[in-house]
Amino acid sequence: MAEAPLVQIVDQRPEGHRSVPLLEEHQLGHYPEFREFLSAAFGLAADPLGAPGLLCVAGRAYELVFVGYSGHPFPAGVRIAALVPGLEPLDERQALDDLWAIAMWLVGEVGGEWDTAALARTGRIYRITPQEER
Amino acid sequence: MPRTIAELPEDIRRRYPYRSRFVRVNGRRMHYIDEGPPDARPVLLLHGNPAWGYLWRAVVPPLLDAGLRVVVPDMVGLGLSEKPHDHSAYTLDNHAANLVALLDALELRGATFVCHDWGGPTGLAALATRPQTASAVAVMSTWAWAEPWSQFHSRVLPWRLLHAPVVGPYLMGTRAAMPGRGMYLSVVDRERFAAEASAGYTEVMADADERAATWIWPRSIPLGRDTDIVAERFGWLEEQVRAMRLPATVIWGREDDVFTTDVFTRHWQQVWPHAEGPHLVTGRHFLQEDSGAEIGELLVDFVSRVNEGYNHG
Repeated sequence: MAEAPLVQIVDQRPEGHRSVPLLEEHQLGHYPEFREFLSAAFGLAADPLGAPGLLCVAGRAYELVFVGYSGHPFPAGVRIAALVPGLEPLDERQALDDLWAIAMWLVGEVGGEWDTAALARTGRIYRITPQEER
Repeated sequence: MPRTIAELPEDIRRRYPYRSRFVRVNGRRMHYIDEGPPDARPVLLLHGNPAWGYLWRAVVPPLLDAGLRVVVPDMVGLGLSEKPHDHSAYTLDNHAANLVALLDALELRGATFVCHDWGGPTGLAALATRPQTASAVAVMSTWAWAEPWSQFHSRVLPWRLLHAPVVGPYLMGTRAAMPGRGMYLSVVDRERFAAEASAGYTEVMADADERAATWIWPRSIPLGRDTDIVAERFGWLEEQVRAMRLPATVIWGREDDVFTTDVFTRHWQQVWPHAEGPHLVTGRHFLQEDSGAEIGELLVDFVSRVNEGYNHG
């Protein structure tokens, strides 16, 4: 299996990049441990409506916009977008792989019963794997 | 995105050659077919996730040949019905209320409700709300209670991972794990399914945003967790279903590894001691894909017997 790209939380939004929406999650509380991890990792308890969270996947930038819904603990959801320079088109295949890396990172960080090996196996069962493994 | 059966590729249209009809339900556009004599005894075929009316394509002809009226809706979010992007459209209550609106719009009476997968909780909730619409009920690979739950649904690998936050919308939405590979794994004759059926499901949800129901709806399956969002509704539903004494039949896939026969047909027999069956046919969860015509014949026999003496109209 190819080594997963490094996913890191970063502070600096790259200049001159636009936000390309990729994925919306409206129910982080479906398994609250996911919400709790993101809240802690991005300091949302102290600053819930600050700038979006930023992730770097092997040098490529992604933005996490946290969403609130009345009656639900914050954040109720998250929108993940690729940050793409200028008006250059999104590299969709790369973005798909990076989302997979972000999913693996998230599952690994949440931990407990959530297991990256199980996610990798789920990916193989459903034929969803990074490009280099296809 | 195709909006009617007539707009689908020829190979799909040929297998489901019916006229698209639409009804407004709770502010949404619901697609359905309504075939056979309008004054004949109606049979209402209810699918679940991520299917649509197409799942019943081999079941419909024997019912029509028997002179019955056949109504097959596509649940909102699936098939050729409207696919809202607002996740709150996909609650169990909203899905069930959509069926109630359909029953009201068509003024159905004396229907046999045939419930598969989420067609069970939604169809039986609608039936409990409009009891005058039904004369009999058939269930297959479905449930109507909070417990017992399926071992398959309670496992992290793969089911709960498929619906975990962020992971769910990626695997199911962006990468289309359902309906493609997921349905393929849930039939017996996978080669035939890939060759003849799979495109019928993937064609109607070609884009990621059209697949929202496929990952949102399963999150309502009760698993005995604090975060179960519909435990109360399932409690109500089980009470209603236990009180139903309509003629009933249980039809199940012998190879069903989602709602296994040892737990689920046994529980249906306990809930409805008067029910016929279980009639076991070749099939996993999507048993209609392997035994559609046989299921159609079983339903013809059941509907004919329980409705003897039915007065048209």
